[in-house]
Amino acid sequence: MSKLAEVLITEDDFDVAQEYKKLCASAPKSGAVVFFVGLVRDLYGEDVSGNDTKQASDDQMSEESIDYLELQHYPGMTESLCQQIIDEARERFPFDAIRVVHRVGKIYAAEQIVLVAVASRHRDNAFQAAQYIMDYLKTRATLWKKEVGTRGESWLGVKDKDAVAAKSWAKR
Amino acid sequence: MVKILFFANLRDIAKVDSLEINLGGAKVVRDLLVSMSEHVPNELIDALADETAMVSVNHKYAGWDGVINDGDEVGILPPVSGG
Repeated sequence: MSKLAEVLITEDDFDVAQEYKKLCASAPKSGAVVFFVGLVRDLYGEDVSGNDTKQASDDQMSEESIDYLELQHYPGMTESLCQQIIDEARERFPFDAIRVVHRVGKIYAAEQIVLVAVASRHRDNAFQAAQYIMDYLKTRATLWKKEVGTRGESWLGVKDKDAVAAKSWAKR
Repeated sequence: MVKILFFANLRDIAKVDSLEINLGGAKVVRDLLVSMSEHVPNELIDALADETAMVSVNHKYAGWDGVINDGDEVGILPPVSGG
């Protein structure tokens, strides 16, 4: 069986069940598998709150919505940065197998945008590696999102909370 | 020649995805702004003037004082927003 590429940047959607099957098959000694799947929210980025009650009331009041995101990347550099981030995570939280899929192009609300899947001997490394990779994907990988919706079009930058999350790994 | 690639909002402002220009006397990325100004809207040069955009040379993050050579590929990179 050929080894699965660790990084895939693609316009195509991914199948979580297939990815799970392939990851498990490539890591027979693993006892833990963590999957993170990021979706396109039908909500403007700046309106996102950690408070579920506030979110629920905002959702009821707001008639604004996201139609789709347009994702751009830098072919070659993005793959190499993703691989670099994976290798750093592997060094800190050794794991048996990994798969990172990031979609680019036009992605509609509720569709899948990113997959980080990690298989390791024990759960702690799988959780931490997945989180480390997501935090740095958001702040270092050359990927750009444009929101298109009722407010028109706008390119997004790094959110403060994402920058703080990425920086926090340096202290751990 | 040096190939310069633009992304996201900076690509919109540049109105081109990429540009090939003669290296001329340029030694570092910053020096390219002068030669670029003949090929892109002034608005782009203004947007880059404060050097808050990141840059890469041959797929590696570099500073505006990153050294460039003939045949290099330079990326002009606004703040990223993946994930």
